[in-house]
Amino acid sequence: MWWLHIGCIFISLSTFTPYSLGVEIPEKFQKSNHTNNWAVLVDTSRFWFNYRHVANVLSIYRSVKRLGIPDSQIILMISDDMACNPRNPRPATIFNNAHEQINVYGDDVEVDYRGYEVSVENFIRLLTGRVPPDTPRSKQLLTDEGSNILIYLTGHGGDGFLKFQDSEEVTSQELADALEQMWQKRRYNEIFFIIDTCQASSMYEKFYSPNILATASSLVGEDSLSHHVDSAIGVYIIDRYTYYVLEFLENVHTNSQKTMTEFLAVCPKSACLSTVGVRRDLFKRDPSKVPITDFFGSVRPVVITTNTIDIMDIPKRKKTEIENRTKVLEKRKYLPQFPMHLVQGSTQ
Amino acid sequence: MAVIVKYLIAGLVRYWLIHLDYWQTIANRVEIATPLNSWKRLVEGVYLYDHNINPYEGDSFHESPIMLVIFHCLLKRVPYLLPLLFTVLDLLTAYLLYQTSKSFMKIFIESQKKQKNDIADESKPMLLNETQLNEATEYVLSVYLFNPYSVLNCAGMTTTVVQNLLVAASLWNASNGRGILACIFIALATHQALYPVLLIVPIAILLADVNKGCNKCSYIRTLLAFVLCWGFFIYISAYIMDGSYNYVHNTYGFILTVPDLKPNIGLFWYFFTEMFEHFRLLFVCAFQINALALYVVPLTLRFKKEPVLLATVLIALSTIFRSYPCIGDVGFYLALLPMWKHLFTFMQQKFIVGCAFIITSALGPTVWHLWIYSGSANANFFFGVTLSFATAQIFLITDLLFAYIKREFTLKHGSSRQVEGKPAKLVLR
Amino acid sequence: MAFCIIFLTLILGAFGEEFIEEIFIKPLPPTHLYSYFQFITLVDTESFVHSNLAPRSIGEVISRFQVDELHMTLTEGQWRHSQWGYPVLDAAPGAELYAWFNPEVKDIDLEWRKLSATLSGLFCASLNFIDSFNTITPQMALWPTGAVKSNLNVTTLLRYASLPREIVCTENLTPWKKLLPCESSRGFSALLNSRMIHNTNYHSIGVHVRKVCASEDCTETKLEIKQTVALVYDYKIIGSNDWSFRKLFGHGLPGACPLATSSIIHVDITSNTSYPFQLSPMPDKVVQSRRGGSDLKLAVYEIDASVEMINIGVKHSTKEKLSVIIPPPLHFNRYVLGYGKEFGGIVTELVNNYWTAIDVVVLENAPWWLPIQLSSLRINSEAESKLVKSQYYSPGRSRQKPYHLELLLKLPPRSTTTITIDFEFVFLKWQEYPPDANHGFYIGSAIIAANLPTAKNYTSLPVTGINYHSTINASQSWYPAVFRTNGAMVSLPTPDFSMPYNVICLACTVVALAFGPLHNICTKELILKPVGTPLSLTQKILNFFKRKKE
Repeated sequence: MWWLHIGCIFISLSTFTPYSLGVEIPEKFQKSNHTNNWAVLVDTSRFWFNYRHVANVLSIYRSVKRLGIPDSQIILMISDDMACNPRNPRPATIFNNAHEQINVYGDDVEVDYRGYEVSVENFIRLLTGRVPPDTPRSKQLLTDEGSNILIYLTGHGGDGFLKFQDSEEVTSQELADALEQMWQKRRYNEIFFIIDTCQASSMYEKFYSPNILATASSLVGEDSLSHHVDSAIGVYIIDRYTYYVLEFLENVHTNSQKTMTEFLAVCPKSACLSTVGVRRDLFKRDPSKVPITDFFGSVRPVVITTNTIDIMDIPKRKKTEIENRTKVLEKRKYLPQFPMHLVQGSTQ
Repeated sequence: MAVIVKYLIAGLVRYWLIHLDYWQTIANRVEIATPLNSWKRLVEGVYLYDHNINPYEGDSFHESPIMLVIFHCLLKRVPYLLPLLFTVLDLLTAYLLYQTSKSFMKIFIESQKKQKNDIADESKPMLLNETQLNEATEYVLSVYLFNPYSVLNCAGMTTTVVQNLLVAASLWNASNGRGILACIFIALATHQALYPVLLIVPIAILLADVNKGCNKCSYIRTLLAFVLCWGFFIYISAYIMDGSYNYVHNTYGFILTVPDLKPNIGLFWYFFTEMFEHFRLLFVCAFQINALALYVVPLTLRFKKEPVLLATVLIALSTIFRSYPCIGDVGFYLALLPMWKHLFTFMQQKFIVGCAFIITSALGPTVWHLWIYSGSANANFFFGVTLSFATAQIFLITDLLFAYIKREFTLKHGSSRQVEGKPAKLVLR
Repeated sequence: MAFCIIFLTLILGAFGEEFIEEIFIKPLPPTHLYSYFQFITLVDTESFVHSNLAPRSIGEVISRFQVDELHMTLTEGQWRHSQWGYPVLDAAPGAELYAWFNPEVKDIDLEWRKLSATLSGLFCASLNFIDSFNTITPQMALWPTGAVKSNLNVTTLLRYASLPREIVCTENLTPWKKLLPCESSRGFSALLNSRMIHNTNYHSIGVHVRKVCASEDCTETKLEIKQTVALVYDYKIIGSNDWSFRKLFGHGLPGACPLATSSIIHVDITSNTSYPFQLSPMPDKVVQSRRGGSDLKLAVYEIDASVEMINIGVKHSTKEKLSVIIPPPLHFNRYVLGYGKEFGGIVTELVNNYWTAIDVVVLENAPWWLPIQLSSLRINSEAESKLVKSQYYSPGRSRQKPYHLELLLKLPPRSTTTITIDFEFVFLKWQEYPPDANHGFYIGSAIIAANLPTAKNYTSLPVTGINYHSTINASQSWYPAVFRTNGAMVSLPTPDFSMPYNVICLACTVVALAFGPLHNICTKELILKPVGTPLSLTQKILNFFKRKKE
């Protein structure tokens, strides 16, 4: 219980100290050697009755975006369109609870993979970086050895697999191998893996790559349960685990000093009705000393230098070919918008 | 006289069916029309050709260019004659099969005379006399004329009618010793549908048997003639398509790679619908080898004395295992079976096979309707029916071969099943 | 502040960049309201080394893939031509993308795929599903709207694809808004509130890039990047037929974008005579437009950047009354024929209400899994119709190429022309079916390019025009327009997705059933084997037990 104790100290610290203190990062918080943060947020379920899974993934999306990870470093995969689904009584919204407190969809959302694009193949390709050559940057996980990656998966799972789109599945072994390949390719520094499905912990049991902290909404043999239903929307709105995670994250700010330990204890069995599983043997650091913003935010230590830097010597941009080419004046014209030459007997 | 009446009735039935209001339905049935032989596709191909669009650019036409040109002429000049033409062609097939069986009976009698010394005394009554043999030829004619499979095939105006005619013509020519003609016809049939290529083996043996002399020379001559004819037809087709060999992708390529998974009575469609993508090539190869090459050599070695039986079995096997079979093919080899009427007594599964044919023929259209139109069944039902239809056909063919070797054994060793006075049974070893 | 803005515009003018924002609002009596936004950026330079107003991401796409003209729309809902008349720019339901490439491009198909993949990343749409199997090259229906070099065969440079299944939601609007110089903070784009505009009967966002003449003789060109939004509101959703910006967009207009050279709102008040209403606040001016036999009254608001919140709205003075909707000169309908999952047909009905003949090009674009048979093409039930002036057909190939048919028809005056064509359902491989295979498969809409002799219901800009003002009194001899019919949906026959192992085992068993006996026949010979007297079942059981005892 010692880590809980420390956690309590930090909570008290953050509540009593003024905000200006947040700028000075405590020493032990600086230990992380990551340079950038990425998030891969995946909802794998299709069909309207899986509204809650979209709400789950968007809750996390909303939080990481609020905590400073830019859209360009968030890969959001959503299997089906719930916000603009004809069955949604309030178009372009997805709520986290029946009181419509938080529209997790928001006005500013960029979904990178959606609909049929969310497949096992695309997911594995994204993680391992083996994407087709013309893939735009927004659909690539351009991480390096200094990247901390938050991976969040939600959908329908079973013992050792996660269903994608109700038609295919990724097994825990495949996922573990993909992460190992990422490690070998130096595509991450640390990974925080969250999964909210039934029998969720089975998905991380096969992991064997270092620097992965994993948590799951339920243990093998347990179901992950949904939180509540909105009778206006007609379906379950959000899952228990993610509901409490969002509740927790709503109180986290970029300057806050909450630790991962607090995050891992976010949903006790009394609230979740399932046991939250944690796997920390692959993770080298002590979760109680890891600030939550190491994964959920984009807070980086800033080094202030007093040296002068000469910025006058900027390499000149190469003149492009087009400018060098002598402009040939060529007459252009607007074409008729209809194949008049084929219309017989017409005048014009 | 009776023969002419048969032809007349069969012809009228076919002609009447073509002019029936339900003709569209018949011509579109999955059991009758496959992507390879359907009348609709032929019309589409000719239409495109007529409008200066290469019919092999798209995916709608898979006949050979020779057929394309012929039907282009016919459809342009005498479209009204086509129903009659199809009827006449089918009757001609029946006639040729009849003649083939007659020639075959002559060969059969000769070989029976030769073998007489090897036959056990008690089996002597089993030898066939003239009337029995003539009866068999009559059955061949009747079965082809009145078999619902052949009738519906003709009524659907599929190109299988032409295919059957070509195969029948080559068999007829071969059994009369006209080597070149047999080769031309079998090459035409091969050019059209690829699978008749198997028949060159029995035809070569048959020709060598009929034209006595140097066997090996005869084989080589036949093979050479066949290859030359086939090559010539391929070249002519390319000439028709302005020197382009692209049509091969749409004809042989289409037959071999099975890209169209529309259900038919064969085994391919559901198998390759449900196939895992990375195993597809392997299984396509396996299935095509099974249909095209696997059984030729062993069966030839075993039955080289009986080229007609070999031909029958090869036609039947290639029908069962081809990528786009239709009931017209089934009707054709069924018409050849009465030549082996004398084997029927040795067959064990006649009843089962007969029942299976009747039941699957009735169930097939029923479950198809349930699946496609009323939506109350699914693909598995139709697959089950086609599977049992194929099983029934396989039983029929293997049973026929068993019957043949049993009869051979009986002729040689007599019909008593006893070894040293003790009861014994026939087993394969 | 005002000085600042003038200064800013002057500088930008010197760089040859210009930004125009416009709204066109037209009531579609009795029950709908059409509002059309266009944001036009004119750029002088062709190379996007530096740009002030123009979205650099679009500029890079244009220069990287050497695109001469680009049209991309993302649409939800169906424009009902017979009720609503014609939109300024029509769009196919779902995503639609077409582009003309520079004649110097070597492999257009490759660049086309790269272009669609890049745009898919840019607009969060699944445009990367565009491949050769759903791309066509229209021959007659589409023509570049921009200025092109003369003596150029433009059709070969064109690629067209539509994805009728594509959904349109906030994630598409967000990156779209980010391309605008004022984003969504100021100007007309501040009205585009995701929750309001997705609560409409029809909404379509688009990006259109073309080259426009910059000089009199058109030796110099400018690049025009036009971003459009088309919305059709249902009065039922608003609550009444008295609309206002607050009701439509959730809040009033917070002034113009300071970077815009002109910010103008046009409200079509022609229907005021039949459905009297009061516009508030009063427009700056009312313009009469006479164009090809149709008279229009437009209320014009010139919006200033410094202005406070404006809430333009309409109050109807009389109670709702019902009237007969007069359909436009040309309208159409498309539907699927047949029952069961074996054969079917597509019908396209074209109605010409006008008193002269109208020339139209109909482009039917059937996906590869819906093979159409050209021989079954019937126009008014005739195989060889005199109405067809020209025809183009490119047959499809499974998994490679769609079926593409174009017909140039002369529709006789006051007539209905029915085009029918039959298709056959294709049975796909089980892994080719989408996860929701029983949802149905979407058929893209047909394109109808019409050469209208009248401007009745016609709202499009003339090809030379840039801003909406160019439509006023713009009489021409012809009014070309490109429309999209409604899409359709079919449900393909499906296999049992849970069966692969069973099917493989069963089919292989049947093959083995043939192989086994044939192998025996060919390799073994018959012999007589002595057998004892057959044992009865009881004896067998006894024997079994006896052996055990031993």
